[in-house]
Amino acid sequence: MAKSFRVILTKRVFNAVVTILLIMALNFALFRLLPGDPAVLMMNRSIHESDYAYWRNVEIMGLNDTYAEQFVKYYIMTFTGDWGISYQHERNVTDVLSEAILWTVLLMSVSMTFMFLVGIALGKLAARRRGKATDLTITGFGIFFYGMPVFWFAIVLMVVFVGWFHLLPAKGYMTDGVPLQPITASKIWDILVHMTLPAVALAVGSVAGVVLLMRNSLIDVLTEDYIITAYAKGLNERQVMRKHAGPNARLPIVTTIAMDTAFIFGGVFQIEVVFSYKGIGWYTMEAIWNQDYPVLQFIFFIGGVAVVIANLIADLVLVKLDPRVQIT
Amino acid sequence: MSFEERFERWGRRVFARNKVLSDKFGLTGKELGRTTDLFMATNMGKVGTAIILVFVFIALAALIVYPDKPAVTGAPFEEPSFEHPFGTDYIGRDLFVRIMQGTQPSLIVGFAAMAISMVLGTLVGLASGYWGGWKDEVIMRINDVFLSIPWLVLMLVLASVLQAQTLGTVILVIGVTGWSTTARIVRSQVLTLRTRQFVERARAIGSGDWHIIRRHVFPNVVPLIFANAILTVAIAILSESTLSYLKMGPKNVETWGKILEEASRYNTQLIGPYSYILIPGIFIVIIVLGFTFVGYAMDEVLNPKLRRR
Repeated sequence: MAKSFRVILTKRVFNAVVTILLIMALNFALFRLLPGDPAVLMMNRSIHESDYAYWRNVEIMGLNDTYAEQFVKYYIMTFTGDWGISYQHERNVTDVLSEAILWTVLLMSVSMTFMFLVGIALGKLAARRRGKATDLTITGFGIFFYGMPVFWFAIVLMVVFVGWFHLLPAKGYMTDGVPLQPITASKIWDILVHMTLPAVALAVGSVAGVVLLMRNSLIDVLTEDYIITAYAKGLNERQVMRKHAGPNARLPIVTTIAMDTAFIFGGVFQIEVVFSYKGIGWYTMEAIWNQDYPVLQFIFFIGGVAVVIANLIADLVLVKLDPRVQIT
Repeated sequence: MSFEERFERWGRRVFARNKVLSDKFGLTGKELGRTTDLFMATNMGKVGTAIILVFVFIALAALIVYPDKPAVTGAPFEEPSFEHPFGTDYIGRDLFVRIMQGTQPSLIVGFAAMAISMVLGTLVGLASGYWGGWKDEVIMRINDVFLSIPWLVLMLVLASVLQAQTLGTVILVIGVTGWSTTARIVRSQVLTLRTRQFVERARAIGSGDWHIIRRHVFPNVVPLIFANAILTVAIAILSESTLSYLKMGPKNVETWGKILEEASRYNTQLIGPYSYILIPGIFIVIIVLGFTFVGYAMDEVLNPKLRRR
């Protein structure tokens, strides 16, 4: 029995919502377990330290309430967009991070586009030339980069392009001290130059996974009987690839794009730290090192939600691409 | 002599007096040996095994040759020389000694974290796949949560929760965050096994759940977990170096990631000596490569579809 698209949609959306609610619960629990008294942490950064300030903080943050009350309050606050105040910057978390998110999204979208275009092309090539020199070279490099810590690859790039040849800037998303507004052509160029190394590091560091997956899933498909049938009825390689092998080999890639968002997030974090690129990752580390928990909590939540939504979209695309999903 | 014959002979020798047991162990050995033969026939298998053995050797040799903490034996930030093949660190300790000594914790983290992930992942996967129904749903939603939160953030937060960063807590953090992929793999395999005839037959003759899981389902899951386990070792070693680089690694042992963190703290990537920051990374890459090779070779051997025809 084929289920209708609407039934699947409802179930998937329901699952996604449940996952997000669970992420929030985990978020709530983990952040009660973190070391340090929030009321003290909040105070450390301000000048007036007194009993009064301490108890006022306790009152503001609702630390005297029972855990159940705090739990409910946390959900309400999250849904009304009240994300808390950064201990360190003494501003709303969203104010601190709104710009950083844009920089991270910019970096991620540039390198992910590159990563999937190149990755799929190389994977296809390797699968078609299976067992030959081309395949071995591509797979070899793939596995090599797969096993490389992204941050270390970024450091190597830095050694070569900044340390030895002084070609590119080493730090930040643009030259220090220059205001972003108004945007001019030279500033865009500056941003591009600053983004080159981080984007390349991220793309090359994580392209390997896509290459290997594409190769394996294509090989998987190419050994199926219906491919032999297709060749037997006289189709040439390009027709087989496009009509018979391609659509099936593409399916795992769609899932991976979604799954990889979580993985690439990890890569972005490392690269932002290496290049002092002030995006989400850089702020995460700053928050961890300085016990700035509200910032951390927000990133934890937003990262999880981003991945859940990416997965949801991938699932729905998959339903459209693969009729079998509707049956099982 | 092939591994097939060798393992068979060893198997028979275990219970040489008892015919039945001897045959049984001999057959098990023969099967294992055949897989080993296939595995050793792949280039990746050979190279990967060699790399891992070399590192195990280095780890053991370091214990014997350099049992003490490295002493200050030179000026800080020396370039590699005959005396100090890898140069010296920021207070003048020999980097060669430090890197050799860093091999052991890497291997320990890799295997211990893998063990935790595998046990958790297999248990969760078996449970949710076998039970099915609402229990499966609940477990899968929890699994989704772990898959959704970016691994690095989860690891960093867990590391902060556990506060004191020792080798043990770092292993725990890496192990606890790494089980969800395994659980997925095991679950999907169990789902297909559950409806297979031999399981239904076992149920028909009155076997209990526990018996079916232990004797029929689990043995069919093992080959899948095996390749996955080796790859998990590689990922665990990578995770440790990443955590250490971000200053959240074990504080009580010297690891390669920690040396990298020091090196970058003193800006050696820009002003040198470049060997300080490049060499520990090369070691990480090679050890991870070793485990990845073995994992892939196993995958190729155990997954007949990938095997070359």
